[in-house]
Amino acid sequence: MSISLPTYSRLEIPLLGRRERVWAIIATGLRREFRRPAAIVVIAIGVAFTTITSIVLVLFASFLLPGQPLNLSFFALPASNGFVLFFVSLMAAIIGSGLIADDLHSMAFTLYLSRPITHLDYLLAKAVILAPLVSMITVLPLVITALVAAFLFPLVFSWGVALQAIGLSVAVGLLLALFNTSVALFLSSLTRRKGLAAAGMFGGNFGLFIPASILASAIGNPNLLYLSPWNDYLAVASAAFGAPGIGIDWPGALAILLGVTVLAALVTYLRMKSVEVITG
Amino acid sequence: MNGVVEAAAVSKWYGEVLGLNAFTASFGKGITGLVGPNGAGKSTLFKLLIGQLHSDQGKITLLGEDPWNNVPLKRRLGYCPEQNQLYGWLTGQQFVETLLRLDGMPAASARTEATAALKVVGLSSAAHRPTRGYSRGMRQRAKLAQALAHHPEILILDEPLSGADPAGRVHILRTISDFAKDGGHVLMSTHVLYEIERVTNNIVLIHNGKAIAAGNIHAIRALIDTHPHAVRIETSKPRQLAQALARMEHVVSFEFPVADTLLVRTRKPDAFYKELPQIVSDTKLDVRGLESPDDSLDAVFRYLVG
Repeated sequence: MSISLPTYSRLEIPLLGRRERVWAIIATGLRREFRRPAAIVVIAIGVAFTTITSIVLVLFASFLLPGQPLNLSFFALPASNGFVLFFVSLMAAIIGSGLIADDLHSMAFTLYLSRPITHLDYLLAKAVILAPLVSMITVLPLVITALVAAFLFPLVFSWGVALQAIGLSVAVGLLLALFNTSVALFLSSLTRRKGLAAAGMFGGNFGLFIPASILASAIGNPNLLYLSPWNDYLAVASAAFGAPGIGIDWPGALAILLGVTVLAALVTYLRMKSVEVITG
Repeated sequence: MNGVVEAAAVSKWYGEVLGLNAFTASFGKGITGLVGPNGAGKSTLFKLLIGQLHSDQGKITLLGEDPWNNVPLKRRLGYCPEQNQLYGWLTGQQFVETLLRLDGMPAASARTEATAALKVVGLSSAAHRPTRGYSRGMRQRAKLAQALAHHPEILILDEPLSGADPAGRVHILRTISDFAKDGGHVLMSTHVLYEIERVTNNIVLIHNGKAIAAGNIHAIRALIDTHPHAVRIETSKPRQLAQALARMEHVVSFEFPVADTLLVRTRKPDAFYKELPQIVSDTKLDVRGLESPDDSLDAVFRYLVG
């Protein structure tokens, strides 16, 4: 057997900075997600459902919601659209739950960290992959709704109101997106089985929302609503748009959402920093 | 302490399991083989060296630095893991390019260097196929390509020959030798002593997490030659291959443990590995992979540790 081989030679190549290295992780992650039918379907259906239902609310506001004032406070309704909760949970579960868990399971994490990548770089990249996708559910439909309202009913929803609604939609939508991104990455970092992380995501959103709402109304203690992130979000969104609240104070709800977001991010970072890659 | 790798009484526990047990060794320049049976602690040592495990006791340095969470040091090393991979949907070219981009290499350079590295390991023709369709030997070569494509100072190779076909082995060993000739350092693990012998005389024997012998390979060889060496060959025609190999005088037995597999025992492994490619080539039989179970090496280790 005769095999001829080229020879290997060393050479120095000027290397780019941290931003490019992080972007390399993001680009690979996004390419991976947009190859997965489940991810594409949940993004497409999620954006379509939340946008269409929100626009229907605008088109038929006077029929569906008689007595609802058609001003800035109206936009609290699309922001509290139940489809947002469902699809945010679904997206965080389908996409977010695997972002770290899959890397731990496939040992791709070992290869990532054999490169000059810090744990913070890695986590930042994963957050940048997930947050914009979640924002497509939490922000984009609300922005489109405000634009549609101003285009179709300029006499009812002035451009001034629409622009205010867009600004507030971006703020509350980003809050919800960051919360779900942070919690999804935290859950994903805890396990090599993304199914567990996905179940945790649904459990955290629905498993707290439904019992908290039932218990709060059954025993007449609205403070129980603070336990549910979705109720906290509704309290903040209602206050932002000047709509009637849901029975809990928005500053407390905002503090809980921000606190959990920051805490989950911090714990995820510390966990990943201390994780030892064991392959058996 | 001026070796490429210095380990002083390094211990690592996984819960109640001891991965490394007061491991002490110094690996010099050039190629060093880390030889030991499965579970001896080779991968644990490598994970400590690339900073993905933290020692519970003792001190370990790579190129004079503590590797734990040492990001700049990672620019200087190339790591080829035994079992992991990035994403199977990436082609070989994309796989290497992606990891080069993680090093901070500009896109154009990453493309060029990835192509060059894949050529060095003999994967040019498969560079644009998804890695999930690669054979085990091809995946090993792709991982070797990503380890050396950014021109590191040291290569840390965990079982780089595991599952590789004969031609792949030639590529891999030749690549490792060329890298070392060019001034690079190589630390490679295997549970098959004869694989190391082709590229270096410097070996460290590891067993139960301890370095039990270090130095020249020939002293160890004398011990091992008293035990027949087993080679498992994956082939679609195991009986025809056994017939062809039977003309080797040093072959002592054949077994057919499962379909498409031939287990050969030989008293002269070096001669066996030298003659095998020619026989495969002459008979035009399909050999998909070679693997050596570590039972023969185990016998030597049992002898060494009493």
